[in-house]
Amino acid sequence: MADKVICITSGKGGVGKSTVTANVATALAMKGYKVVAIDADIGLRNLDLVLGLENRIVYDIVHVVEGVVPPEKALVKDKKTKNLYLLPAAQTKDKSAVKPEDLVKIVEELRDKFDFIFIDSPAGIEEGFKTAVTPADTIIVVANPEMASIRDADRVVGLCEAMQKPEPKLVINRLDPKKVARGDMLDVEDVLQVLSLDLLGVVPEDKNMVSYINRGEPAVLFEDSIAGKELRNIAERLLGKEIPIPKWTYSEGFLEKLKRLFGSE
Amino acid sequence: MGFMDKLRDAFGRPPAKEVAKKRLQLILKYDRAGLPPNAVEAVKEAILKALEEFPFIDTSGVNIHITESENTKGKIEIEVPVRNN
Ligand SMILES: Nc1ncnc2c1ncn2[C@@H]1O[C@H](COP(=O)(O)OP(=O)(O)OP(=O)(O)O)[C@@H](O)[C@H]1O
Ligand SMILES: [Mg+2]
Repeated sequence: MADKVICITSGKGGVGKSTVTANVATALAMKGYKVVAIDADIGLRNLDLVLGLENRIVYDIVHVVEGVVPPEKALVKDKKTKNLYLLPAAQTKDKSAVKPEDLVKIVEELRDKFDFIFIDSPAGIEEGFKTAVTPADTIIVVANPEMASIRDADRVVGLCEAMQKPEPKLVINRLDPKKVARGDMLDVEDVLQVLSLDLLGVVPEDKNMVSYINRGEPAVLFEDSIAGKELRNIAERLLGKEIPIPKWTYSEGFLEKLKRLFGSE
Repeated sequence: MGFMDKLRDAFGRPPAKEVAKKRLQLILKYDRAGLPPNAVEAVKEAILKALEEFPFIDTSGVNIHITESENTKGKIEIEVPVRNN
């Protein structure tokens, strides 16, 4: 499979890399694929929280790099989702503790044992980003429909090209159909006109996201989560299924328009 | 936002997303070429100054812009029209 080692990156921080990684990895594992998610955000461990696995960590990726344990031994098995494993980041070391060649070696050792290997990249465009991207054969850039995020995404695309990687696929996260309808937020077309990348999915703003993370239960586990539904679709699209991407249009009613004009929001 | 601001946005002003898109398209053009936003203006000024001494050049028609380029980060293209008479 060409899309086996998938790095999720963004340039700008806080746009939803770990959320997308945890959810798409969970969705694929739920379908029966054997999946490992590697947290490459060394020093700012986070993916364990989104997956609700923080209490089960014994070893981390830096132990693997230092040769304390082999990669399999450091994997944390998810209890809620069969077939899903996490290779946690170290919380105390810094980004230079894992070099590109270290991650390449770890991925090579895991490659035959898994159907999918996800790498959750740190924010930024320095060392840590380069390490995360180097072993990947597919890159997903997550961007919010917002100026700084899109500008950073474009930087990342340029750097991937310079690293001779295939062109990243785009996931637009936190699109708010109401703001789009008001003309306040860039819509999907606008983003594509600016970035011109293959679109893998558009995840809407989901007010329940914070509670999913607080509980350590990814949105894809919930049938009624609006973000969860699109995140499951992204997993399907990675498997090659053609699922149309919703336009997320919303038309404001007359009363709503009046309320917005005269209201306090 | 206050009522007057909202009213102004509802009538006449282009929507924020259009402004954002235009700004982004311009910013990315410079980012991709690795140039600061006023670099082209500075180059244009220098060139106009140098061209002033040639009477057969119509300096008012000098056109300068950034385009994408195959081999380099970007390309600055300059059009220098010659006067008709
Ligand atoms: N679709 C969404 N709807 C609402 N909130 C979201 C959505 N996606 C992500 N968030 C929120 O955004 C915040 C940042 O998400 P996340 O940690 O996944 O970003 P990140 O890109 O991994 O950040 P970092 O750069 O720090 O690693 C979280 O609090 C999360 O709940
Ligand atoms: Mg993260």
